[in-house]
Amino acid sequence: MNGEYKILIIDDEEVVRDSCTEILSGSDYTVATAANGTEGLTIFKQFEPDLVFVDLKMPGISGLEVLERIYESNPTIVTIVITGYATVSSAVEAMKQGAYDFLPKPFTPDEFRLITKRGLEKRSLVLETIALRREKEMLRENFAAIVSHELKSPLGAVQQNLYTLIDEVSENITDDQLRRLKRMKTRISDLINLINTWLRVISVDIESIKEHFQPISIPSIITKAVENVQPHAIRKNIEIIQLIREPLSTVNGEEVTLTESIVNLLTNAIKFSHMGSKIEISAEESGDNVAIEVADTGIGISEEDLPFIFDDFYSGKSDQVPERGSGLGLAISRRIIETHGGSITVTSELGKGSTFKILLPIYSDTQQMSNI
Amino acid sequence: MSDRTRLLIIDDDPDFVEGIKSILVKADYDVEAAYNPDDGFKALTTNPPDLLLLDIMMGRGAEGIMLARKIRKDEKLREIPVLIITGIREQMAFLFPGEPVHPRFVPVDELVEKPVDPEFLLERVEALLKAAEKRQAETN
Repeated sequence: MNGEYKILIIDDEEVVRDSCTEILSGSDYTVATAANGTEGLTIFKQFEPDLVFVDLKMPGISGLEVLERIYESNPTIVTIVITGYATVSSAVEAMKQGAYDFLPKPFTPDEFRLITKRGLEKRSLVLETIALRREKEMLRENFAAIVSHELKSPLGAVQQNLYTLIDEVSENITDDQLRRLKRMKTRISDLINLINTWLRVISVDIESIKEHFQPISIPSIITKAVENVQPHAIRKNIEIIQLIREPLSTVNGEEVTLTESIVNLLTNAIKFSHMGSKIEISAEESGDNVAIEVADTGIGISEEDLPFIFDDFYSGKSDQVPERGSGLGLAISRRIIETHGGSITVTSELGKGSTFKILLPIYSDTQQMSNI
Repeated sequence: MSDRTRLLIIDDDPDFVEGIKSILVKADYDVEAAYNPDDGFKALTTNPPDLLLLDIMMGRGAEGIMLARKIRKDEKLREIPVLIITGIREQMAFLFPGEPVHPRFVPVDELVEKPVDPEFLLERVEALLKAAEKRQAETN
């Protein structure tokens, strides 16, 4: 819409309508006028203006009400109030209703032209912002689809054939060749998981889990999370000890993501623990919260890494890390927990181990009413 | 009928098809493949298989889904059990890998993610065939 802006003037004084139309006639705007609020709103719907001038004092429905209706039907339309009294209070009231500016009567043609120009500049900014936001949203959605197709498909095909090959040729090759084939499989698996994790961070709107909040029993999700990581723990001969201190209230949350955040903590604990050690996961009430702690006696986190471990793509500077992760596990956990209105913190000492602590607000009936 | 169980794969990635086809052939299934939705639909209608393995994201999405819709609308075809194989599970948000998801676009179906572990693939194919058999016995 280059210059083809539409302007609607709602004023009960004919002389104001006529002179405004006259003033704007030289420019390439399309102008419509209405003599009262009701007529103005009818025209507003068909005309779809970019900018609306509304007289505050009119017989019939008031200018403020007209503003309100316009705002309700489309908050991106720029409105400017014309006021006969030039009283600051009525203008302020109008601007609270969403009006962009006000024009006191009587006004000169130049004043009117200037405020029209400013109003339309505002409209153009608003439109641009909407377009950019939509573009960003589309990019985010499409990016996930494109990446999954262009990167994951080839990897999937390679991996599928590796699976099959290992099955088919394992009896006819040496152990060393078999080991290398299996390494290839593992490496590609890691790569596919990495792409999946990145995609999740980029494409999933974490806020949407709030729609599925319900009372969640912490012991049950801890059990699920422990089951999930158990194979990994057994491989490293690590014992996971569960300590639930009853009574334990439920929390308001979403089961799958909460379980995932605990799985992430346990996975890390296993990853950074020594063979044959123990990991402790405990839950107890602590004030208005349920506190969940995951404690390991592993390699710990250095002081320089500590402030960054919950950031995206951070996976430790120190080269003592035996297995490098995607650098997203803790970032995802933090996002999940914060979306639940909780917090996640860590204490750690290099060489002695780390303890991660999740605090989640205890569920109460009133909680669902308010926005967390 | 002593015929072997017949499977049809519809997937536009020939490399991937080869990968799963050899698993299924080795397990003594009679396997056919179609590499685009049109050929796939033709194969489905001329000689309906006992089970369909369908890549729902063929051609950047739309084509595979269109085919799935066509199958769903057809009274006969919708009775064929379908194993949906997809690379886009993460868009279905926050799901744990390994757990079967039922899209329920036909009465008997299941979704697995590419790549599929050979044992898991055979297990799911068998489970779906059994579920379809059971359903048929119930409706008769």
